[in-house]
Amino acid sequence: MYVLRRLPSLIATLLAVSILTFLMTSLLPGDPALQILGAENATPEAIAAVRSELSLDDPLPVRYLHWIGDALTGDFGRSYRTNEPVSQAIIERLPVTAEIGLLAIVIALAIAIPVGMLSAYRAGTRTDKVISSTSFGLLAVPNFMVAILLILVFAVWLGVLPATGWVNFTDNPVQNLRSALLPALSLAIAEMAVYTRLLRTDMIATLQQDFVTMARVKGVSNRRILFRHALRPSSFSLLTVAGVQVGAIIGGSVVIETLFAVPGVGRLLLEAVLVRDLLMVQGVALVIAVSYVVVNFTVDILYSYLDPRISHGRSSARV
Amino acid sequence: MRGHPRLTKGPWRRTLASIGLAGLLLGTAACGGGDDSGGDSSAPEVGSDDISEQGDPVEGGSITVGLEAETNSWLPGTGSFSNPGTTVAYALYDPLMKQTADGEVRPYLAESMEPNEDFTTWTLTLRPDVQFHDGTPLNGDALKSNFDDHLKAPGSNVANSLADVASLDVVDDLTVEYKLSAPNAAFPSVLTDSPGWPFSPTAAAAAGEDAGANPVGTGPFRFVSWQRDSNLVLEKNENYWQEGLPYLDGITFRPIPDEDTRLASLQSGDIDVMQTLRQGTVARAREADGVDNYEYLGNNSGGSIINTTVPPFDDLRVRQALAYAIDQPALIDVIGGTGLTPEATQYFSPDSPFYSEEAAEAFPTFDTERAQEFYDDYVNDPQRSDGQPVGTDLSFTYNCPPDPSLNELSQLYQSYWSALGMQVELNTVEQAAHIQNGIAKDYEVQCWRVGEEGDPYNTLKDAFTPGPLNFTGYSSPAIDEGLETLRTTADLEARKAAVADISMDISENVPNLFTGYTLTDVAVRDAVKNVDGWEFPDGTAGDGVPGATTMWGFVWVTD
Repeated sequence: MYVLRRLPSLIATLLAVSILTFLMTSLLPGDPALQILGAENATPEAIAAVRSELSLDDPLPVRYLHWIGDALTGDFGRSYRTNEPVSQAIIERLPVTAEIGLLAIVIALAIAIPVGMLSAYRAGTRTDKVISSTSFGLLAVPNFMVAILLILVFAVWLGVLPATGWVNFTDNPVQNLRSALLPALSLAIAEMAVYTRLLRTDMIATLQQDFVTMARVKGVSNRRILFRHALRPSSFSLLTVAGVQVGAIIGGSVVIETLFAVPGVGRLLLEAVLVRDLLMVQGVALVIAVSYVVVNFTVDILYSYLDPRISHGRSSARV
Repeated sequence: MRGHPRLTKGPWRRTLASIGLAGLLLGTAACGGGDDSGGDSSAPEVGSDDISEQGDPVEGGSITVGLEAETNSWLPGTGSFSNPGTTVAYALYDPLMKQTADGEVRPYLAESMEPNEDFTTWTLTLRPDVQFHDGTPLNGDALKSNFDDHLKAPGSNVANSLADVASLDVVDDLTVEYKLSAPNAAFPSVLTDSPGWPFSPTAAAAAGEDAGANPVGTGPFRFVSWQRDSNLVLEKNENYWQEGLPYLDGITFRPIPDEDTRLASLQSGDIDVMQTLRQGTVARAREADGVDNYEYLGNNSGGSIINTTVPPFDDLRVRQALAYAIDQPALIDVIGGTGLTPEATQYFSPDSPFYSEEAAEAFPTFDTERAQEFYDDYVNDPQRSDGQPVGTDLSFTYNCPPDPSLNELSQLYQSYWSALGMQVELNTVEQAAHIQNGIAKDYEVQCWRVGEEGDPYNTLKDAFTPGPLNFTGYSSPAIDEGLETLRTTADLEARKAAVADISMDISENVPNLFTGYTLTDVAVRDAVKNVDGWEFPDGTAGDGVPGATTMWGFVWVTD
């Protein structure tokens, strides 16, 4: 089965990611022991005591094996800084980032699909040109600018959405959605532009194919041609890129969660890096990497749903 | 104190402020413009913002407060209480000691604090019938447990503050003795910070590893819930030891790290109060409608430290060249502080009782000719300390953490020093490594903040006697002598003179450079009142909002 065949490379990827994450964080300048004690208490003896308590003086391979061994059993250790279990911190924060990220993708697709199709259908017209230049414009605006503008308009001027903050879904679903909307929108804007451009290009190619002409000849309505016949074969690049762009969304969440003061994994990661909270950084980076790999793995599987001709089990063809 | 204290012109404004005239006075000065008390009329006016009418206290209501950052733990000994953490602590805990408007340290939660003759034993008496939020009585045993099990425990982050305290001994139920290993007249000042915030020993023991996430103090508000990086919810302590306080029913603290979005949250009404230590944000908060700004010019100052242990910076002429070459008002302008903060010349701001006019005049100010003289003199000295051939220009690296405004500052420094002939390389060093470089003295010249509130002995001892916090590596007999006086006498005039001597020595030997004092601000929706009006139980006026920290028990809201 396809999933099983891909499993070894999946595991190799994750192993490489875990080693790289570990090495990068361990080799960063800046002693975690100093961060824990604070500069004023950092006598050589106190530093030595903390370093030995955290096993920071062991050789790197020993530390890695110790960490990954525990991590495989779900024990990522406790944060140097806050003393909370790393796994608990991630479990509390992952849903926040996932909700905002998913909402961003849904918003981006909901707008990009009709707009991209319209652009392709009207290729070369003024509508198409306006859409194209707008998407390029949006692509060029960094997400933190978008975020500040959105806050200014929707929170400060109109007062319809909160500027910052987070309400848990379990506390109040409506307020939860309101607090997620602006962060998601900030992330969605650039994605939307990418999706629109991709869908337009693929759809123009699809619309020139024989089966579309055939459908037209048979008198099928434009709407039906676009949505029922052309959309599915035009969405390969879109799906691939949507998978890859999950990385961009996770990266963007570091900035967006800080701006909107939202308690997600991006902000957790940023603050952990700044204070050399090594176990927290390693745990979060590993979880992010796993999610990324899993998402793209899922995208691979979705291909066969989009185009049943692709059968991963038999053919060696890769899309 | 109302309408208050960004008093940069001298003690007379402080006096007026304390009887409620500052708002009126500053308003008049701003309109008239012809106030002749300020000396040089071309200097940018450093003034303060008006504050709305306060009215009578109102019971009830809740507020949300936007903080600069989250705090790692709420337990003294493990919590890193910087400005945002300290302001939260003033809701959860009560400080045993606190500073008055006149800069004196007095008992707050404690009833009394008395030294023996040579300041080696301090006897602290507690008030009767004070309880922690969990009902545990506040007594000598509680203080001892805090001290032995947390504050002096291995890895405690207040170890340095309590280094001279050999033991805490219980005398009777409400009395303890702090036994010091050496005389320290400034010891009570240590108990204004986290070593002096009693917490319930029973609750801390029960919570174990998670004690930092379940704070139980004696403060005006008690802990309800905490979601890290999102919100900390507190409710009124119905059993508070101060009759009639607190006024509010509850407070929610929310860390909002970004300056722009924190201010936007205040303007959109998502939060009622915010704190900031950034000069640019203070300027914008002053312009916001319906916002009162409670500002405080603290002793903390931006600037640079010079590593006096390595050549060529071990030579005074080089340090003087560096200092005379820079135009401090231009540097202040780069960080957005023009009109907010005066030039800094010493470890104490003009608002501090320890400010010295003489030291201020002695500190080098912008004079390129003198800078060039000092520089040329060193460079052409056959005996120059760096061993380079005569005439060789100096070349060194200036380190600073990655931050847009610090980046601009570095470039300005670079241009001033290059003008003398120095070759200055700018190097960006991430914060954690930057601090480590300072401790290891593994740098030449770098960005650094100096000065803090609290007793001058503690600040100056750390900065100028051998130890990890002497980042510049500078010390001198004059400073040692001044510190000895500070350590052994409680007489305010004698202590002021000692600090002035130390400040003078620093001005003459320039181990560091300044870029203005830091003006801090608690910006509030104008329905939030009495933000800086806290008092001691005997009615003595408190020190307001130092470093944008607030005594929340005294705050009320009118809607």
